[in-house]
Amino acid sequence: MFFKENLKMAFDSIFANKMRSFLTMLGIIIGITAVIAILSVGNGAANQLTQTFSDLGSTSITLSAEDETGSQEMITNEDIQLLKETIPEIEYISSDNQTRSELSSDFETRTAVAWYGTPDIQFTNQSMDATVIHGRYFNQNEYDDMKNVTVISEDTARALFNDRTDVVGEMIRLDVNREQLNLQIVGVVAGAFEDLQGTFDLSQMPVMLAVPHTTMSQLSSIPSNINSLTIQVETTDDIEPISNQAVRLLEIRHNSVGENNYTAYNMLQALDQVNNVLSLFINFIAAVAAIALLVGGIGVMNIMLVSVTERTREIGTRKALGATTRTILVQFLMESVILSLIGGIIGLMFGILLANGIASVLGITPDITLGAVGLVILFSSAVGIFFGIYPARKAARLDPIESLRYE
Amino acid sequence: MIEIKDIVKIYRTGSETLTALDHVTLTIQEGEFTSIMGPSGSGKSTLMNILGLLDSFDSGKYFLNGKDVSDLTDDERAAIRNKEIGFVFQSFNLMPRMNVLENVQLPLVYAKVPMKERKRRAEEALKRVGLENRMYHKTNEISGGQKQRVAIARAIVNNPSVLMADEPTGNLDSKTTLDILRIFQQLNEEGTTIVMVTHESEMSAYTKRIISFRDGILQSDELQEPKVLPKGGV
Repeated sequence: MFFKENLKMAFDSIFANKMRSFLTMLGIIIGITAVIAILSVGNGAANQLTQTFSDLGSTSITLSAEDETGSQEMITNEDIQLLKETIPEIEYISSDNQTRSELSSDFETRTAVAWYGTPDIQFTNQSMDATVIHGRYFNQNEYDDMKNVTVISEDTARALFNDRTDVVGEMIRLDVNREQLNLQIVGVVAGAFEDLQGTFDLSQMPVMLAVPHTTMSQLSSIPSNINSLTIQVETTDDIEPISNQAVRLLEIRHNSVGENNYTAYNMLQALDQVNNVLSLFINFIAAVAAIALLVGGIGVMNIMLVSVTERTREIGTRKALGATTRTILVQFLMESVILSLIGGIIGLMFGILLANGIASVLGITPDITLGAVGLVILFSSAVGIFFGIYPARKAARLDPIESLRYE
Repeated sequence: MIEIKDIVKIYRTGSETLTALDHVTLTIQEGEFTSIMGPSGSGKSTLMNILGLLDSFDSGKYFLNGKDVSDLTDDERAAIRNKEIGFVFQSFNLMPRMNVLENVQLPLVYAKVPMKERKRRAEEALKRVGLENRMYHKTNEISGGQKQRVAIARAIVNNPSVLMADEPTGNLDSKTTLDILRIFQQLNEEGTTIVMVTHESEMSAYTKRIISFRDGILQSDELQEPKVLPKGGV
């Protein structure tokens, strides 16, 4: 019922001492600005990461095998077939390995990244395009028979064959740790670096090729056993159950239930970890900002105590005129809440500005949530109440006679 | 009507005690204009604070309009002060950030009177003290005498049973003092009960009754024919 009067009194009092009120608010302003900026930029960064990670393969599972001895064959080609046959949700499954090498044609020698796996590597590999533009991909028979075949990328073809791309049937020589393998090109896939043309010196980039794992393992430096698989499933929802199912199947087949030899890992887990680190970081900074708010709150309390002392006579007069303890309490509480709230709102505006500034420098979109705005309003009011209650109680409990006598 | 019986008020500071009021019994009827006199330390201000329900006392009884108000909580006393008592202080005690009209409205705010009604009654009170032309002035834009007239308007705005004035002209020059006294006489004539604490006999000469205190004891209580000031001209 006194709300309007109290509101007016609070504003009158705050505006009567503009400089003092502003300096008092400064702590709150800085605290809220920091909190809003950090939360918005942090959330924006998290959104960006999530996007990046899901682009990278939120439907891909990496399954790795490891045991103490390390010598045992942990994943066999039969396992791969069986996994594919028994779990229909698996779209593609392949070992997915790479080695540094040199690749030579009759014309040119280049540093290369040689990918090797099952024919499905065409789809599980994120670095080479799956679009075959000449010839075909190597197939299961060639894989099983350890045929010396390879698929290269378009830019590899250009680099090694004087800008030609249709090089199906040509022979190339792969050099891995001084061992050579002569491979026949059965297919060419779309180039990975086309869009980088002009920005990078492409002659310095390693070229890429894909080879059956079985073929590669003819080399003494390439182990024949498979110790990791990349599994592509249809939807993100499949990741958890398929991971568990695949691990379970391998454990049963290799009599190692409960030995934790097989672990499934996916980008979402990686995202979770990155997000955990990020939110830890955000929370840490937010805690630092909260300290600024705390200091701001103490500033509010300090100025309210000064205000109560300065206005002792006013309080005494109000009491003589009929103000109850509660009325005075609410009046001063209102003043500290309004003071904090104005600080909070100014801080909110600065925070949004700052967040946009930082975000545009970092090249991300700040995420200013309604929740964060609500939090600011709630939090600065809470600061006002928490730090205002003591001065307000002090004012409310003043003895009217002594207050009236106060000079 | 104010009735106090056997009021004792003792101040204790450490081991020392000071009897500020020593078994004071007193009745003030409706419509009186009474001055309470005495040197400083005589207990007159203490009596004023007790009559104004700002202070409590150690023993005795206080009846205000027949109602026992001896033993009330702070908030109950605040409510009675708001409704039944109007205060005029020596140093005016106006709210510095409010204008004249807002100052006069303040007791009505605490009485929860609606805004329109508040404004109407405040304007009426200001008219009675001759300040209807200063309603929207800030309190630092008017003279001392005008400030005290605002304070009087504030004291009468809620139609209290009694107006308590504590050295109301202590900060005013002699001409302004007469203005204030004229207003008091006029208000009294219109029916307002007034109790005025003063230590100056020139002031008490304008009241109908003089009660004197010394060392907390009621010394004398006399009715008199007050000096009358010419009406109007405020």
